[in-house]
Amino acid sequence: MSVLDEVFILCALGALVLFVFHRIRGIEKLAVVFYAALLYLLIKMSGLGYGGEVIYSSFSLNILGETLQWRFDAVSWFFAIITVASGLFSAVFMSGKWGESYREKTSNAAYGTLQIALLLNVNSMLILLASGDLLSLFIGWELVSWASFMMMALNPDKQARQAAIKYIVYAMAGAMAFLAAMAYVYGITGSLQYAELAQASAALSNGQIILLSLLFFTGFAIKMGLIPFHLWQAVAYAETPAPGAVFLGAISARMGLYAIIVVLIQLIGLGHLQQIHIPFTFWNLQTVLAWVGALTTIIPTYIALKQNDARHLLAWHGVGQGGYMLLGLMTLNSLGSAGGLLHVFNYATYQAALFMTIGAVIYRTGTANFDKLGGLVTQMPLTFMVMVFSIIGLAGLPPMNGFVSKWMVYRSLLLDGEPLLFVAAVIGTLGTILSVYKLVHNTFLGQLRVEHQNVREAPLSLLIPMLVLAAIMFVTGMMPGLVLDWVASAQLAMGLVPVTYNLGGIVLASGGLDMIWITLILFYGLGVGAIIFYLLGGRAKRVHQYDNYAGGHFLTSRVRYHYSHNFYAGLMHLIGGWYRGSFKKLEQAIVSLVSLLSQLSENMYRSAQPAMMVIIVVVLSLWSISGGIN
Amino acid sequence: MTMPGIEVVFYTGAIGLIVIGMAGVLMVKNVFRMLLALVLLEAGASLLLILSGFRETGVAPILLSGHAAGQLMNDPVPQALVLTAIVIGVGIQALALALILRIKHRYHSLDMGEIREQMEHDIAVNSGVVSPASAQSPEPGGHHHG
Amino acid sequence: MDNLILVVILPLLAAFLMPAMARTSEVLARVTGLMVLFISIIIITSVWGSVDEQAVSYAIGGFRPPMGIVFYIDQLSLLFALLIPVMILLFWPWNKVTHIREYSLMMLLTASASGLVLSGDLFNIYVFYELLAVASYGLVVAQGRAGKKGEGAALAASLRYLILGAVGSVMMLIGIAIIYTQAGTLNLAHLALLAPEKLNNMAGLSAFALILIGVGVKAELFPVNTWVPEVYGAVSTRLSALMAGLLSKLAVIVIIRVLVLLFPQPEALQLMTILGMLGVISGELVAWRSRDMIRMLSFSSIGQLGLVFVAFSIPGDMGLMAGFAVALHHLLVKPALFMLASGWTGPLESLKGAAKQSPYIAALFVLLVMSLLGVPPLPGFWAKLLIVVNLASQAAPVYQFALAFVLIATVIEAAYLYRVVMILYHPNQGQQASVREKHKAFELVIASGAAVILIAVALQVQSMETKLSSMARQTGDRQHYINTVFSKLDLADIYHQNKVQQTDFRSNNQLQGSK
Repeated sequence: MSVLDEVFILCALGALVLFVFHRIRGIEKLAVVFYAALLYLLIKMSGLGYGGEVIYSSFSLNILGETLQWRFDAVSWFFAIITVASGLFSAVFMSGKWGESYREKTSNAAYGTLQIALLLNVNSMLILLASGDLLSLFIGWELVSWASFMMMALNPDKQARQAAIKYIVYAMAGAMAFLAAMAYVYGITGSLQYAELAQASAALSNGQIILLSLLFFTGFAIKMGLIPFHLWQAVAYAETPAPGAVFLGAISARMGLYAIIVVLIQLIGLGHLQQIHIPFTFWNLQTVLAWVGALTTIIPTYIALKQNDARHLLAWHGVGQGGYMLLGLMTLNSLGSAGGLLHVFNYATYQAALFMTIGAVIYRTGTANFDKLGGLVTQMPLTFMVMVFSIIGLAGLPPMNGFVSKWMVYRSLLLDGEPLLFVAAVIGTLGTILSVYKLVHNTFLGQLRVEHQNVREAPLSLLIPMLVLAAIMFVTGMMPGLVLDWVASAQLAMGLVPVTYNLGGIVLASGGLDMIWITLILFYGLGVGAIIFYLLGGRAKRVHQYDNYAGGHFLTSRVRYHYSHNFYAGLMHLIGGWYRGSFKKLEQAIVSLVSLLSQLSENMYRSAQPAMMVIIVVVLSLWSISGGIN
Repeated sequence: MTMPGIEVVFYTGAIGLIVIGMAGVLMVKNVFRMLLALVLLEAGASLLLILSGFRETGVAPILLSGHAAGQLMNDPVPQALVLTAIVIGVGIQALALALILRIKHRYHSLDMGEIREQMEHDIAVNSGVVSPASAQSPEPGGHHHG
Repeated sequence: MDNLILVVILPLLAAFLMPAMARTSEVLARVTGLMVLFISIIIITSVWGSVDEQAVSYAIGGFRPPMGIVFYIDQLSLLFALLIPVMILLFWPWNKVTHIREYSLMMLLTASASGLVLSGDLFNIYVFYELLAVASYGLVVAQGRAGKKGEGAALAASLRYLILGAVGSVMMLIGIAIIYTQAGTLNLAHLALLAPEKLNNMAGLSAFALILIGVGVKAELFPVNTWVPEVYGAVSTRLSALMAGLLSKLAVIVIIRVLVLLFPQPEALQLMTILGMLGVISGELVAWRSRDMIRMLSFSSIGQLGLVFVAFSIPGDMGLMAGFAVALHHLLVKPALFMLASGWTGPLESLKGAAKQSPYIAALFVLLVMSLLGVPPLPGFWAKLLIVVNLASQAAPVYQFALAFVLIATVIEAAYLYRVVMILYHPNQGQQASVREKHKAFELVIASGAAVILIAVALQVQSMETKLSSMARQTGDRQHYINTVFSKLDLADIYHQNKVQQTDFRSNNQLQGSK
């Protein structure tokens, strides 16, 4: 029995136990133990992260002449460890005070259902990541969709329910595109094994490759929320109960990236994609995909800028960050693809932390609406600190880990001579910086609202996972080599040249990156500043948060001077015209079209003369048989 | 083989009956007339089936001692089949007539359009999608919403 | 094997005897019906598995084919011969108010349905098909008992159904007439022997089109299925379940038999593909905008039957296998869904929070719906996968269109089915929660049974696959059919006769000319 078998057995056991006992108090402790055990098993497999052999499960299934099998390689392991860790953090987050309040608001059963949903998400993702052929990949894919849907549907709010429905329709559409692609692969190669496709793909015609890539990519892009399928994700994730949002936000959408890696890069081969030109244009498939990534960094990020709810802002960001990962991968070179992969890890750390801080804020204040928040820094300083760490990471500034991965992507774009893509990525980052500032300003800075005067720091059970995540962000930011080990193994497994790195960062002939130095210099600068400050006397006066004046008037807490509503009014004056909602209109147009067709079909079924249809169709088919069509 | 003259007449008749029947079923609104058209249609089809076993110079397919065994006979199989088909057809027509009577009693109309509208309304009321009061034409029976 | 004919004769006898028996003792009549069904089941289970390798034909009255009438028993016909009494038994009206007439019609249905699947003769198939039609019209009419709510709807729906069905029957009859003109026989095996020579032409093709559309009325084939929403909306869910589950499949089986044995033309298959895919898309589209559960399920059933036709239209054994998979899956799931729907009448919005009221039923519903949609690892997924994979490997462009239609329809299907799931699990109770009808015990038993079978099949998918593929192989083997019905001696006779007949004919003509 391999370790992978143990993982699956543990998953099944965990699901069983949770189903049976989900109404019982204390189940949350069991869940934490479960994720910890799962993490332990993954660590047992950690050889994969350092160039180890592929681990197979001894379980397999023979059907339709296909052998379905499950295995873990370096790529799956890399994604799996992030998945399980996210699950563990979410479980810890919901195990303490947050869980109690959720129980009170709903019921024991509802809390248990949330736990089940989380567990099913983790399990289904592990099944997906372990898939060893297209069919098992598809099965995992559908299971993940179903589990996410269950998680999203838990919020009784109307908007959340609509988002869940929208999600499942998008997910089904994606799954059907995937299924079609899979069926074509079967039609061409007569098999659904990875190896067969990899072999056959070299012999495929350009048209076939374009069709296959388009179908596969549509399926995967929907999961990832890439342009033009970005509309469903943000609302669906944001409206999920906090631990669910933490988990979904951190890793769920990345399953699409995993599938892109497996199918488009490993099997069809990016090198192959590079050679295929789209007819009537000067683009090849790789450029198209890279531009999809670039646009995804821009459009959702600027939509995030307009959000007035912290959760929605973060979730829209999550969509945008997916663009960097795709963009990095699509550079094809060792540096860029490593950046894309590393970003998956980095992004998971800060996105989880950010959703947790917002979850903590909601736990204490009951809202995530920017119009009703502000000035919480004095009340929740640790939460504030975690958020600052995370937004530094999200914006891609040193010394947090987000900087490293974004730097790698930028650098590889420049080295590749892709200035336009580089500019697009920078525009995306600009939007990120603007909106994370909005996030931190509107929640933690500025004027404290009167009703929040008695708000206290988040409870320990919420703080611990946040602080650990912040620590991870900092440590892997300073020493990215820790994670780059895994990334390099994954790159090897993908068939790419692994990046050259050391503990501190990237080794590059044309100027590498050493985060240890950068961090030291940063702290050195801080230290110098502090020394100067204290040498000058260190005069500082502590004032109360309400001790404010403007225009010669003292301002009391009754006066609202916190500028949060209609934030960036000036900027919106400049760029507001660009928000046309074209994609939304497209979506609505499709719905209207379906509705119209549906009405037409219904009218047909309401024919006045019952025999009308028989005779019409007889005449038509006889006509067509007798060569009428020709 | 060339088709003898009389068969052309028969075939024309059969197909003509089918066409008339079809046209009737399609165009007539009155359900009773629709049924009559159906009868014509069935008659046409039966005739067609009979014709498939017809030989112009054939005799009745009965073996009698007086006849020579090698004589050309009409094919008996289609005749047997048509007998069955006619019986079934008559049965269905009788059922349809009974139905029409009861519908007339219930909906006070023989017009297919009206019958359909009342039926659709009844179904919608049954499934609770519309309230009984919203009928365009008030219902004679007067159902109560359950 | 010889007593297999009893599964047709006994119910037929019972159908006519029961009203007479009821005059003396109503209980006796009902018990007789049940007994007959049980005997049928016992007879079939006693020969179960004996035709796995070699099908069996049975000449009625000892007349040798092609003169005599034969029953043809292979895995397919045996499976359905078993399913018929089982399903009838499940949907038997177990109560005292039902008129004996309805029981009698149920027996007629059993007899004609069994005859339909077992018969090896085209005209017999026609006769049994008509009997089946009469029985189903009768059952629909019986729903419209005087004074009952919705009486008029049931009557009008059955009249419209009857007219459509009767025109369909006429089409079928014309198709049979054409076949007879071409081939001069109606024995399926004999026809199969002659088909490559006699039916592989325009006339044969139009005969198939006519039969397809005629029988398609019962099989809910697009566009001769306008009766479906009307009838299912007007009758009880018990009958809708039986019609959508069983009767439609029987009609499909007839079409498949005829198609496999008589019409090798690719055009025949493509005609079926086109009608099938239009059925899929139109059915799912209308179901999407339906406002109550029964109507939704009716249109979903149209869509699923369209899927069945698309599957069967794929050439080769794989197509047959896909068709059997999806047809049997639908036969299992749709009746169960109808059973659940019977307790959930009224507009969909009124079902809000039904899951809280009856969590078990809602969970059953979700399971069935997921299988219908094809969520792995439930059986519906494997059925859909078979269709999709085999459609994609076909070269003809019509199959690519069909693939696109099937996939788009699935998305639409997901949209409305998940919407219902969301309504069921709505946190707030709907307004009519208190007045909602309770599910009856037998409905829950049937639905639970279907769910158990679904899970069992999901666990045993490998052995299920071998069974289906062996059934498909047997059904698709024309030579096997011919060799089963005719002995070597018969075959030699037929070849001889054909030659003789042809020479005879020619000599007759010469004779006429010389006269």
